[in-house]
Amino acid sequence: MSGRSIADVAVGDELDVEIRNASRAQLFLYSAATHNPHRIHYDRDFAVSEGHPDVIVHGPLQGAWLSQYVTGWAGPRGRMLTLTWQNRRSALPEHDYAFRGVVRGIDGDVVTLEVWAEDGNGTVLMPGTATVRLPSS
Amino acid sequence: MSNVTAPPLVPPETHAMVGEPLGEPVSAVITRREAQRYARAVGDLDPIYFDEAAARDAGYDGLVAPPTFVGHSVVEGATLSDLRGDGLWMDRGRKVRLGVSRSMFGGEEWEFFVPVLVGDTITAQRRLGAVEEKDGRSGPFVLLHYETTFTNQRDEVVAVSRLVGIAR
Repeated sequence: MSGRSIADVAVGDELDVEIRNASRAQLFLYSAATHNPHRIHYDRDFAVSEGHPDVIVHGPLQGAWLSQYVTGWAGPRGRMLTLTWQNRRSALPEHDYAFRGVVRGIDGDVVTLEVWAEDGNGTVLMPGTATVRLPSS
Repeated sequence: MSNVTAPPLVPPETHAMVGEPLGEPVSAVITRREAQRYARAVGDLDPIYFDEAAARDAGYDGLVAPPTFVGHSVVEGATLSDLRGDGLWMDRGRKVRLGVSRSMFGGEEWEFFVPVLVGDTITAQRRLGAVEEKDGRSGPFVLLHYETTFTNQRDEVVAVSRLVGIAR
């Protein structure tokens, strides 16, 4: 079956860039699907009262995007072993965020990735790392 | 020097909770509908979450739940009268008391050991890992580290999450 194997990967490889942009409806659906009633994600006045410019994208939703970015790169036979991220800056709905990554290490069949999300100015919102086990062929 | 001292951001009883479980373990069955609702809400339409044949082709024993879904699968919620002013649930287990109230998510570290499949029964046990007081550009804040261990119906640890909450 198809999919990435360890032989396809070299240290320094850059992952294809993917763009994510959350609509307000997506924020609502994500709150519903995760049973999350936190008002900073749907009540703009409340979000502003806590110092945010608008409602903000859930940190774990950005983490789930990062997970999707990594597992999509790894392919169906890859297995994500670890995923870490820091939400350093808030992400806003109706804004494009670019997901990027670089292969930083290969140890046997395990690949270490540096992955991150950045805004339109290239400012990193969310740095992260992942390790992925890939099939040998 | 003033004799007036501001109340601590992290009171002693909160420091004393570090390392301890926050309430009883919580269990939940991973249902296809909830896992797929989550995948759709994220926008992750990987066939291994939706098509059992695709999941088996990829080497799984059945339909897969998105890796980070496991953390949400055990959320029980509470009654509407138990919502705080900011919408968050009041703590169901032991309350982590702080001198600040505005909450944000700061990041997470996941280790995934065993795939979580639809039909699995997952049990989560959460602990308070550490509490740190910090000084930031906009004032002092607190980092709360929560560690959650997820086990399945075979007592296999499927994943561990180390989540950072920011309170300011």
